[in-house]
Amino acid sequence: MMWKDKYKIGVELIDGQHRELFGRVSSFLQAVQGEGDWEVKLEQVKSTLQFMQNYVVEHFEAEEAFQRQIGFPEYEKHKQVHDEFKSTVNDYAETFVKEGYTQELVQELGAKLMTWLIMHVAAADQRIGAFVREQGGTQ
Amino acid sequence: MKVEYIQPFYRATKDVFQIMMDLEVNRGDLRLAKDLIPSREANVIIGATGDLSGSILYSFPKDMTLTMVKIMSGMELTEMDGFVLSALGEVANIISGNAMTYLNSENYRCDISPPHVMFGTSQSLSMATDVALVIPMLTSIGEFEINVALRETKG
Repeated sequence: MMWKDKYKIGVELIDGQHRELFGRVSSFLQAVQGEGDWEVKLEQVKSTLQFMQNYVVEHFEAEEAFQRQIGFPEYEKHKQVHDEFKSTVNDYAETFVKEGYTQELVQELGAKLMTWLIMHVAAADQRIGAFVREQGGTQ
Repeated sequence: MKVEYIQPFYRATKDVFQIMMDLEVNRGDLRLAKDLIPSREANVIIGATGDLSGSILYSFPKDMTLTMVKIMSGMELTEMDGFVLSALGEVANIISGNAMTYLNSENYRCDISPPHVMFGTSQSLSMATDVALVIPMLTSIGEFEINVALRETKG
């Protein structure tokens, strides 16, 4: 997944974290879609998934704290979207533990992560940037 | 089946392609179809219930699908595997969700079902609808079609 300047919201902390998140989701996708047998790739798939998952939680918490700090009016709605996404990812993670990391299901999660992240960062999160600009900047 | 149900789908498709792939979408000439008939190889069907009920069928050429997912993922892709097909399903799902939001603002309350993705099937998908409106969507990486078969159910 390519990071694009159009994804920037104009807040350094958040833009840096979004970029990191794109990087981690990309590493996960490359592990899932890379050459080679599924069984051989599996360790890499599991570790990149874990690495990405940890960062999702860290980033959402930081972004939500920033939204509270600036009094973002859509905070509750935005947090609900984050919570729903976290529970989708957790549901997949639980299924993998219970039923195994099947290639098809892991690919499905990869596709959801990719499309969700692009839409969320390129559309929903832009509203945070717009609000900051309306208020006259971050300081 | 009313023509005004079409605009929300066109608007949502334009937005989503621009946001996700930096691609411009233009609409071809609308036509009527008696059934939901896949015209291309990769198909996504999404059901709708509520004030409008029926189905929406997205029909994409194989090469276009691979290019779309390549643009989003930044990876070279040659196979229509689970990742590619799920990503296509998600794009159709996001478009339909956004179209429903627009319909909602026109006072139609509807819910959609999760996307069902099919590859390589070409049979007609009889959905017991009266008629479908087919919207050809033109982009620089190929043409696809959205078949909208919705009936008003609110009294």
